[in-house]
Amino acid sequence: MSLDYDRKDCFVVNGKLALPYSYFAGRVGSKFITTIRDQKKIMGVKCDKCNKVFIPPRQTCERCLEDIRNNWVELGNIGEVVNFTVVRYNDGHLPRKAPYILALIKLDGADTPFAHILDGLKPEQVEIGMKVEAVFADETTNTILDIDHFAPSKTKKVQVSERAPAEKAPAAAKIEPQPGLDERRKAMSRKVIITAALAGAATMKNQNPAVPYSPQEFAEEAYKCYKAGAAMVHVHAREDGGMATHDHARIKATYDAIRGKCPELIVNMSSAVGMGKTAEQRISQIIHVKPEMASLNTNTMNFSLLDRKTGKIFIDFVFENTFTMLQNFGKAMEENGVKPEIEVYDMGGLDNTMLIMKQGFFSEPMNFNFVWGVAGGQAFRPDAFLCLKNAIPAGANFTTCGVGNDQFPAVTMSCLVGGHMRVGLEDNIRIPNGEMAKGSYEQVEWAVRIAECQGREPATPDEAREIMGLKKR
Amino acid sequence: MAHRKKNKNVGIIGIGQTKYSSHREDVNQPEMIHEAVKAALEDAGITMNDIDCVVHGNMELFEMVHQPDLWHVIGTGAYGKNCIRITTGGTVGATIACAADNFVASGMYDIVMAIGFQKLQEGHTTGGITNMADPLWFRNLQTGALTGSKAYDVIREFGEERGKRASLMYRIIMDKHACLNSLAHRAFGLEFEQIDELIRTSPKLVGDLKLIDMCSQSDGACAVIFAEEKKAKKISKKPVWIRDHITIHREETFNIFGYDEKFPVQTTMRVAAENLYKRNGIGKPLEYFDVFEMYDPASWWALDWLRDFFLLKGDEHLRLVENKDIMIGGKMPINPSGGVIASNPISATALIRVAEAALQIRGDAGKHQIPSPVRHALASGFGGTMWTVLMMLEKELNW
Ligand SMILES: [Zn+2]
Repeated sequence: MSLDYDRKDCFVVNGKLALPYSYFAGRVGSKFITTIRDQKKIMGVKCDKCNKVFIPPRQTCERCLEDIRNNWVELGNIGEVVNFTVVRYNDGHLPRKAPYILALIKLDGADTPFAHILDGLKPEQVEIGMKVEAVFADETTNTILDIDHFAPSKTKKVQVSERAPAEKAPAAAKIEPQPGLDERRKAMSRKVIITAALAGAATMKNQNPAVPYSPQEFAEEAYKCYKAGAAMVHVHAREDGGMATHDHARIKATYDAIRGKCPELIVNMSSAVGMGKTAEQRISQIIHVKPEMASLNTNTMNFSLLDRKTGKIFIDFVFENTFTMLQNFGKAMEENGVKPEIEVYDMGGLDNTMLIMKQGFFSEPMNFNFVWGVAGGQAFRPDAFLCLKNAIPAGANFTTCGVGNDQFPAVTMSCLVGGHMRVGLEDNIRIPNGEMAKGSYEQVEWAVRIAECQGREPATPDEAREIMGLKKR
Repeated sequence: MAHRKKNKNVGIIGIGQTKYSSHREDVNQPEMIHEAVKAALEDAGITMNDIDCVVHGNMELFEMVHQPDLWHVIGTGAYGKNCIRITTGGTVGATIACAADNFVASGMYDIVMAIGFQKLQEGHTTGGITNMADPLWFRNLQTGALTGSKAYDVIREFGEERGKRASLMYRIIMDKHACLNSLAHRAFGLEFEQIDELIRTSPKLVGDLKLIDMCSQSDGACAVIFAEEKKAKKISKKPVWIRDHITIHREETFNIFGYDEKFPVQTTMRVAAENLYKRNGIGKPLEYFDVFEMYDPASWWALDWLRDFFLLKGDEHLRLVENKDIMIGGKMPINPSGGVIASNPISATALIRVAEAALQIRGDAGKHQIPSPVRHALASGFGGTMWTVLMMLEKELNW
């Protein structure tokens, strides 16, 4: 039916509304946005009364009217698509060119889903129930688009699956000795593995300019250490600004740069990453990159910054490593072919490992690293060292590292009693005479000298692989 | 106008207000609303479970968030409840009080909570008003919420000297009241000696409307709980009864000011007052009421409207001001709270008039409580194109 009326001379006023406004996000909303912006972390709040975790966060549970503004829960970056639609028309106000997917995503640990853009797959590939992961924006806008979009998750969630106990290694006596094996063992016992911890999470360029931040700097520094005699490098990836990062892309780029520059070197990655990272952030990057080796921490402990002279506290921090994390991280590493380097800060940490290892998932030989001088761990003492050495399972290897002044005495002792050595700017920025180290490689040179004094020689990376039970290249 | 008696009597049993201020960056909208809701529930001594319906009042264009009643459920407590949103401009707060009263009086709900709020710092009120004005006649000419017409009217009738001094006198009395109300937004500590100086120095906005004459832009929320007679008496020791209310509209825009002597327009204030008093048998409103919480957007308007609301003649209204009869302790205290000139979170503003009138009847207004007993109170609401809401509140159920 056509509209039958006279439109002649009817005037139409055309206009446009554009009004300025501000939005006060409030304290709770502000924290949500700034945590995404500054820490790339998504936070929710939990109502203890109805046990619901809300995202976006709010001051009040609208069901119980409980004040929940301070009950923050970190949710990690992985979730599940609970519903979606496909935007199929283009319009100026839309954030993407059509077609694109708008999904309702429920983050792991949250009870409420929220809407975001789902990218990285075709509209016909999206499924309810699929795992997706937040991808953070390079440039912040202080909006929900600081999460640029979600993409199909490449990270497998750490599965704590029931698994059959590992086959017990046959008793040593029953092994038919292969001809020449003893000979070989003897030769190998003379070899000492030198590891260079290039950066750590906390040492900054203003303390020692040789601390690498960029993938390129990591590669150059690793290469120099390799040339100086290191068989392995230990890596915490950094952002350009120097902050320790759990960003998969950056960690992979750092790893790839080192491997590209010196393919022979063993890369041992940190599963501690840096202060305040979640369990998920700490282990997912290891599974993503699958290095030959990764650190595995054994106890929850203070891990703080104190003035060594006055005892004044600068930064107080609790480094969380529960039994469950020790178990889950250990299993995840073993399942993904990553050999754990078991970090022992004191006898308690070693005993924790001795308990968990009864589950049988650690492959032999186990490799320990005794860490000295952390504010929250124990300071280096030769007798304590011997206690640790004597307590580890038979057949296990050990290396050692020490913070600051503990570095060289500890590695000297380790070398002396048959262990290996870790040096590097992560632990200490100087060389034994007190001068600033030109790089981790200069400390490697000192470690080589210590070995030579004791009649031992640096292991090549391949020899190190053999000693520590890594797969042959 | 047909008007029927209430099916049920309705009493105010709970009142909650936030502090009124220019900025509340620390809370978002639902969080700020929740402060008032919590205070009202505590004042009534009930929980959200007792509330049958929530009436939500807000001018969404002023903050640029659509469907605010939905976004705000987190703060209003309306989750899973009957909830109705009302948007009537400046009168929103009064309209939600009327709606809540009607809902309870009709028997639809036993207990209803009315919530008015605004965060004016988030939006652009004058931009909103200008952009909403009739596009053909007024959009390009609107001065937003600011108008100098009443200054013009008063000066024309009573002369510049007397008009300006009376307007400033009213303004300073309001400031003195605001200084007694800890929730008020603007309380400058003005003195009567400053009248001449302020007339000279305060920047002019439109015509003879000066910055000092004009109301504030505030952030804040107010919640008031209404209950039917039986429950009101059971829950509250001092329920305040809603006797009656009236809302009067008139024609729009160009004809509102009544400049043309051949085509005079009646003001909605006077029409509302005349009708309301007539049907309630009140002959001398100035004697009947003990206190009046008036929606006073600017001192010039307030001055002029006193004549309409109390059905006065000649310069009686100016003399009320000049003799300080409108001060706390005077013959007819106006806005012991400091009024809209002190605090104006728009959609809460008219509800605050009802809330403050009720607090005066209860005797719970604190430092700005008027010293003589309050049995009958009046509250008004006002909207930008001159419509009026008037509400009568009573201490006793005896009319
Ligand atoms: Zn709850």
